[in-house]
Amino acid sequence: MNLNNDFSKNVFINCPFDDQYIPLLKSILFTIIYLGFTPRIALERFDSGEARINKIIDLIKASKFSIHDLSRIKASKKSEYFRLNMSFELGVDIGCRIFKDGQAKDKKCLILEKERYRYQKALSDLSNSDIKNHNNEPEEVIRQIRDWFVVNELERADSGTIIWDSFNKFMADFYLKREEEGFREKDIQRMPIPEFIGFINEWIIERKNS
Amino acid sequence: MAKISSKRKGNKRVHIISRKAGWAIKKEDKTRASKIYNNKNSAISSARKLKKKGHDVIVHKKDGSIQKWEKSKKQK
Repeated sequence: MNLNNDFSKNVFINCPFDDQYIPLLKSILFTIIYLGFTPRIALERFDSGEARINKIIDLIKASKFSIHDLSRIKASKKSEYFRLNMSFELGVDIGCRIFKDGQAKDKKCLILEKERYRYQKALSDLSNSDIKNHNNEPEEVIRQIRDWFVVNELERADSGTIIWDSFNKFMADFYLKREEEGFREKDIQRMPIPEFIGFINEWIIERKNS
Repeated sequence: MAKISSKRKGNKRVHIISRKAGWAIKKEDKTRASKIYNNKNSAISSARKLKKKGHDVIVHKKDGSIQKWEKSKKQK
């Protein structure tokens, strides 16, 4: 995977990796690349010998931007544990911005939740922070990320609807390509994230050259 | 990595895409959706008329993935 070492283009993604979340993650990855940035995510490399927290800290230090999704802050069924990783990594990222000198002072983060204000019950330290909700809808998460980049960095970009439609077109091209290569539905759904990112990069380059 | 484009990519395609207001029919070469339907099945029925004109009809799920790909018999 071709990783960008440019701090100003890197976007650290802190989100759940469960099957229910993967469709949202795919739309997040697509939007970041579509807008000219580089997603950085713990799943980008597999090394069982590497301590996860060290990998996370490296990604946070390497990224000017970060997107933190707290939508799994609440357990979805009885006896299930709620997830602490996302709020922990958000804390590390904010700490990096506050306590580290140099380019870390320029860091910017977007915090996402499923429902508006729900996070305040579990993480009241974030009260009065500007947190966006996506209702678990990829179309909405694309819009929120696009608007956040426009406000913080880009000034102008294609509309959320254009990016959402482009994502759907990409998914069709991706499906067709994999189907022609003999991949079954399950294989297409469960493709490793670095491979999926590679496809998005390739599609965006082809689109620019066409 | 092999090119993502495929033989079938040359075919005309129409997408059924989720919108906040319902389901949109969007031809691939157009910048805007042609119509928004409240009901997904109504959008699919309407889009099927384009199959005779050589369009593949691609029905997306709410998350953008592919639910169904109805291929036109006409190959470009």
